[in-house]
Amino acid sequence: MPDISTAAQASGDPLEEALAQKSALLHEVDHRVKNNLQLIASLILLQSRRTPDEGARAALQTVLERVTAVATVHRRLFQNDPLRFDVADFIRDLAADLASAAGRDDLEIVLDLDHVAIPAASAAAFALVVNELLGNALKHAFPPGRGGRITVSLADRGAACVLTVADDGVGLSGEPPGFGSMILKLLCQQLHADLQVSDAQPGVRATVAVPMSETPP
Amino acid sequence: MTAGPLDVLIVEDEVLVAEELAFLVREAGLHEIGRAMSSAEAVALACEFTPDLALVDVHLKDGPTGVDAARLIAEDCGAVVLFMTANVKRLPADYAGACGVIGKPYTEQAVKMALGYLEVCLREGRAPGPPPLGLSLAPRYRDLWGGGLAQTG
Repeated sequence: MPDISTAAQASGDPLEEALAQKSALLHEVDHRVKNNLQLIASLILLQSRRTPDEGARAALQTVLERVTAVATVHRRLFQNDPLRFDVADFIRDLAADLASAAGRDDLEIVLDLDHVAIPAASAAAFALVVNELLGNALKHAFPPGRGGRITVSLADRGAACVLTVADDGVGLSGEPPGFGSMILKLLCQQLHADLQVSDAQPGVRATVAVPMSETPP
Repeated sequence: MTAGPLDVLIVEDEVLVAEELAFLVREAGLHEIGRAMSSAEAVALACEFTPDLALVDVHLKDGPTGVDAARLIAEDCGAVVLFMTANVKRLPADYAGACGVIGKPYTEQAVKMALGYLEVCLREGRAPGPPPLGLSLAPRYRDLWGGGLAQTG
């Protein structure tokens, strides 16, 4: 960490030195976290490439998608205020990435996003919620040959921010809830958020209302 | 410019990240000419094999030397350099002569889209449109390739 000693020496004021050292350390940790997330993603991808079994490969892929959602959070953290996280910017990044990965010309993703900043401590949980809902719509609402539209909106209602993911696809499958539903429920519990999933006929409409005051600091 | 697939040099000291990046380079239809883990190795390989594109991390085996290595590779070895780093804020305003940066942790999709985009830029000397999300172009290359409006977000 050569930056830290040089940053501290740059000034004669002990207080300024301490501050420079603290900010250099923060930068170092941020850098380390980002690189380690990159390493984790590369590991999963490499293993997935070497896995002949289709089911195992699909499982690794979903793990990668969730890790990617968390990694996208960290890429965005520290860009401005280190303690707040801009949800709209994150959703834009994630939607572009998921849409490109889906490779479907017949699907349109419409974004209608208010600028909402949540505490950085809640960012990963919120990001995983967005990833589950949007990922579900992309994977299950539109079987091959059926195009359509997914709308993601984020509304600032003062006391709460409301995320809505709605599609005009084939609707709820009636299958028993899987792992995705389970972590969605748990994450909403953690965020003290109210989750509603309804049959929108056509399609599915999911809303998550996250209280802004109660989100953990 | 190579007539066949573009030649790519990977400069990255984390071997697993380099290995996976090599897959993405191949999947994008590009040709990997080598990998370097230190700045000296990177400059030596770049000047010997004159790649079209060098993918360069800022932190290498010998420290935060990627910026200086990039400048040498761009100026002396004639390669177009793309930074791939978790240290986006530490890049100089002129990007050390590099064409742009992808921030780490990047996604597979972001790299695929960026490589496809840069291949068009390199072959045709102009951008097919605004850069894909995840790729930021250096001001000089935005002018050179006319990458349209800056990407939002």
